[in-house]
Amino acid sequence: MYQYDQFDHAMVAARNAEFKDQVERRLKGELSEDQFKPLRLMNGLYLQLHAYMLRIAVPYGVLSSRQMRTFAHIARTYDRDFGHFTTRQNIQFNWIKLADTPQILEDLAAVEMHAIQTSGNCIRNTTTDQFAGAAKDEIDDPRPFAELIRQWSTFHPEFTFLPRKFKIAITGATRDRAAIRVHDIGLQLTDKGFDVYVGGGMGRTPHLGHLIKSGLPGDKLLSYLEAALRVYNRYGRRDNIYKARIKILVSALGPQEYARQVEEEWATLDQAQIDAPHAEIARIKSFFPQPAYAEKPFDVASLERAKAADAGFARWVRNNTLAHRRDDHVSVTISLKPTGLPPGDASSAQMDAMADAADRFGYGELRVSHEQNVILPHVAKADLYELYRLLDQNGLSSANVGKITDMIACPGLDYCSLANARSIPLAQDISQRFADAELTDKIGDLQIKISGCINACGHHHVGHIGILGVDKQGEEFYQILLGGRADEQAALGVITGKGLSAEAVPGALERLIKLYLELRTDETERFIDTVGRLGREAFAGALHEPA
Amino acid sequence: MSLLNSSHAPQLVSDQGEVNVNGWTLLADDDALGVDQAVLSFGRAINELDGLNGRYGVRVAPGDDVRKLAPFLSKVALIEVAFPGYRDGRGYSTARILRQDLGFDGELRAVGDVLRDQLFWMMRCGFNSFLLKDADPAGAIRHARSLYTHAYQSAADGLKPVWALRHPA
Repeated sequence: MYQYDQFDHAMVAARNAEFKDQVERRLKGELSEDQFKPLRLMNGLYLQLHAYMLRIAVPYGVLSSRQMRTFAHIARTYDRDFGHFTTRQNIQFNWIKLADTPQILEDLAAVEMHAIQTSGNCIRNTTTDQFAGAAKDEIDDPRPFAELIRQWSTFHPEFTFLPRKFKIAITGATRDRAAIRVHDIGLQLTDKGFDVYVGGGMGRTPHLGHLIKSGLPGDKLLSYLEAALRVYNRYGRRDNIYKARIKILVSALGPQEYARQVEEEWATLDQAQIDAPHAEIARIKSFFPQPAYAEKPFDVASLERAKAADAGFARWVRNNTLAHRRDDHVSVTISLKPTGLPPGDASSAQMDAMADAADRFGYGELRVSHEQNVILPHVAKADLYELYRLLDQNGLSSANVGKITDMIACPGLDYCSLANARSIPLAQDISQRFADAELTDKIGDLQIKISGCINACGHHHVGHIGILGVDKQGEEFYQILLGGRADEQAALGVITGKGLSAEAVPGALERLIKLYLELRTDETERFIDTVGRLGREAFAGALHEPA
Repeated sequence: MSLLNSSHAPQLVSDQGEVNVNGWTLLADDDALGVDQAVLSFGRAINELDGLNGRYGVRVAPGDDVRKLAPFLSKVALIEVAFPGYRDGRGYSTARILRQDLGFDGELRAVGDVLRDQLFWMMRCGFNSFLLKDADPAGAIRHARSLYTHAYQSAADGLKPVWALRHPA
């Protein structure tokens, strides 16, 4: 993975020194909360319902075992012994004391991490495929370009006060696991350069991104992005916070006209001053080699014996591993969705266990996925059973990846000051209702995504089943959306049926699933395919109790 | 030091920290042109500069397309870029277009909600003077200049991006 040089270290140290001074003046009362707010928001520090929350950037979701252990240390020392992995491949600590933040940032800097640009109307952490560099279907590795964007966007003087926040996602594989069509800019890396999608997003007016450029060379990426951001910075709406994202501008101008303006702006730029030279791209690429793969003799028969003897292991191998570019390895997803617990949470002991697992079986490398799970990208098949047992001893062996209980949920009203409704308790109820492993496997691949308000942090628009919490005359209600998906066939779900109370949602899902199991052609037709074939209206009736 | 601490009367300060008296006067669109060091509105500037002699100032609002000034820049000594609120970042693009696309080399001044925490970004985008709301304008400039010794990206201040230092030509 990327390693800081003197310049990277100096940049983070300078920002931390500046913020330390600001925190001290806030604690002494020299700054009011109103005055402090824009300063803390430049450093990922939010004031939530009950406490400060610190959001730490995990650049493009890649982290080392050493960095994971630092998260464990932060959870233990400064928080309530756990942290929350987010849909932006970051981590949040929800119970932080202001006075501790300078020391936390110093602890993070020691392992080349920070909280810069994890909030505010600036370019946020670039996200990517959690299996980058490992997946069998990868065309090119997106991580070096994500790092290139990280550096270019850090403290960019022109784009620190954009109309609204700005999120970029990159994928380099044929399967889109980075949800690029619902990002402000989505980049598809192909063998001919980048396809650039712009104007995707969720929130209260969801849009899918439009293709505005094909075959953009990697060594022209930064200047093209600079032009795209400049057009947005100049012409994006600033009169209404809900209409300020780039999707509204692109929709108002039309994608073709927006693309034309970007080309025009691009032509005015001194590109040679903006685009890093080949030597720099090569330097960054050199930090992302394939690991020094262990040549471990792999015996199919012994793996099969272990699976036969341990049904839990067999299920975990089936659901939580993905084909690797090498036949003797797989990528392993550690599910942070155990039955009845908040999606994406991990305790300090679990973080240490994941770091140990990475050191023993995964070349020291981990990833965070936007589905709020943790990945070991490279694991020798010969090590799978030992890894499984280590994870199992730490409550990390849930075998439900991609299944109905592998839900995305935002923090909701339990933490967030914007939320209308709770997300986590509902996710917990659903997870308990579908706890039966056999049933879960029978249902097959199904993504439920839950947001506690219209801002859509829980991605409800692109859930196969989306659940949106709303406030109706002081009561929490939930609307069900069907037919959304975030992959290479991205589509937005549509609200189906009437709003339901929290208590009614698990029962409604049960009826919905029962109907799906009756209607599907066979077990290879996934829920989303059946909805696609029959139309979501075929399922609307099932959401409500028969009269 | 804060983005919202705007209780101080604005003082004119250069990017070198020199505090100066502002000799320029912003004219209303129906004011006569007779005064020395007159600042014209953007609309008036693009309509009238063609027929005028001498050197003027121009006030550019966030929504103005500054490229329309290109034909008249030889008659412009000062451009004031208005920041009606610190969250409105359009002026940063305006400044870079003036400096890097149109080659404007006169005085580029940030006016309005200009506070010490913005100075670093503004100087990188090419501003070289500020009507700054701060008790200690010279100190604010010194502080902004001391924050970062390097930058990851090139802008309008001539600072070489870090990649150029990593790979000297």
